Amino acid sequence: MMRIERLGFTYSKNTVDECRVLEDISFHIQEGEFIGLIGSSGSGKTTLIKHLNGLLKADSGAVYFQGQNIYDKGYVLSKLRKEVGLVFQYPEHQLFGRTVLADVCFGPQNLGMSKEEAEKSARDCLELVGINESYYHTSPFELSGGQKRCVAIAGILAMQPKILVMDEPAAGLDPETKHMIFDLVEEIRKKRNIAIVLVSHHMEDVAYYANKVLVLHQGRLVLTGEPEEVFTKTEFLREIGMDVPQITSVTEKLMKEGFPMVNPAITVKEAEERILKVFRERGGAE
Amino acid sequence: MIRDITIGQYYAQDSSIHKLDSRTKLMGVLIYIVALFLVKNPWWYLLLFAVILALYRLAKVPYGYLLRGLKGIVILLIFTFVFRLISTPGIPVAQLWIFTITGEGITKAISLTVRIALMIIGASLLSYTSTPRELADGLEKAFGFLEKIHVPIHDMAVIVMIAFRFIPILIEETNVLMDAQASRGVEFEKCSVWKKCRNIFSLLLPLFLSAVRRSSDLAMAMEARGYSGEGETSRMYPLRYHSGDRIAYVLMFLFLAGVIVMRVVNIY
Repeated sequence: MMRIERLGFTYSKNTVDECRVLEDISFHIQEGEFIGLIGSSGSGKTTLIKHLNGLLKADSGAVYFQGQNIYDKGYVLSKLRKEVGLVFQYPEHQLFGRTVLADVCFGPQNLGMSKEEAEKSARDCLELVGINESYYHTSPFELSGGQKRCVAIAGILAMQPKILVMDEPAAGLDPETKHMIFDLVEEIRKKRNIAIVLVSHHMEDVAYYANKVLVLHQGRLVLTGEPEEVFTKTEFLREIGMDVPQITSVTEKLMKEGFPMVNPAITVKEAEERILKVFRERGGAE
Repeated sequence: MIRDITIGQYYAQDSSIHKLDSRTKLMGVLIYIVALFLVKNPWWYLLLFAVILALYRLAKVPYGYLLRGLKGIVILLIFTFVFRLISTPGIPVAQLWIFTITGEGITKAISLTVRIALMIIGASLLSYTSTPRELADGLEKAFGFLEKIHVPIHDMAVIVMIAFRFIPILIEETNVLMDAQASRGVEFEKCSVWKKCRNIFSLLLPLFLSAVRRSSDLAMAMEARGYSGEGETSRMYPLRYHSGDRIAYVLMFLFLAGVIVMRVVNIY
């Protein structure tokens, strides 16, 4: 659906603080994929996702959306922005509507939906993120932090994007709200068959939800693959200053102590299954 | 357009101007502005312009920054120019519809516009070469004598410093908000004036809220560290005059004396 080819980007070009941020990045996003984008601070994650809906223009390489180069002359970027929804860090800071419903309608209406369509879409999305109808006509500033975040995410979802990009959507949220948001995103992905790109520092979340992981280091894509592939390269990840899921470290240590496992596990569930399996086999043998 | 505001932004360089005491620089700006008002013959503005160009060179600030400061007041400059041009009595040189342009009008318009522009350029140099902290310290020291008559100079200096410090933060915040709202389909450049006003609102409200949120956080943090604004505090970087400052003061006063002499003698 989207193809990024040899993307390169430089900040403040031709000034003293010129800084090469992205270099030779290529990957693609397909329908229904859940991509986890990880990398240490300053590795260029946020810069990269700003290219996905044309907020930044790369100085080399190209981005193809549904076969069309978005840097072509005459390509309407606002169309792309409808299809690629971007949820920034702390999205609740962008709220400004008089009511919750009006704020969620803002995006879709800007992007050409009629008032009725926008409202219907907004109501659907608010229901999805678990905002009760009784809040629709209150001011968004009266809600709690977590609820505000949900409203802001609904504001992007209401545009019915085909790719949903989220930059640290769970930063500063309690575990319950966090899981609610991730489960919700997962549900929407399955229901609408959209692609999700999740930027996160939290390896457990990425390991649990993503089915493809991209690792960014100093502006380059250093590792791509399924979560099992990526997270089991623990040495390499630690070398570039990244973490691995806790459970991966634990199972890795178990393996070192001689516990019979082929690969470290990346989710708790997986670890549980494998360990139980080993014990069951042992039990059977005895 | 909103993205390139530079007022209140420090341009880090290692130059003799950057090293000057901020009080010296404040005095310098003051003298420069006074000189701008003392000058009568518009040709002398060329000299004053040359002086500021030389100072920018000395401070190693690129000339591009000179114009950046002016961008914000372009409308003011145009208005000043046009109204001076058509509303000064004198010998008419041209007639445009109901407006008469006079010879005096032309000179007055040019000199007034240039005067404002040079004032801004001079003041920008101050903010390019001194950090907000230095500026606030300088202001506090320079006006410290007013504390004796119970003017709260220290508090004012802190307020000024914080205000300066917030400018880059708010600019950054605006950029983030512009990206976020652009992702929700807001156009900031290619649309009608009416739409533009409505769209700007989608920036202003969140920006205002975040300014309030940030300042209340800051107040809380200051209080948590026991800040009360009372009593003498020691300084991490005490202001001290160096030999460079002495030279600068001598040059500044020679410059001022020169301008005054010219004005009094009225040679040119």
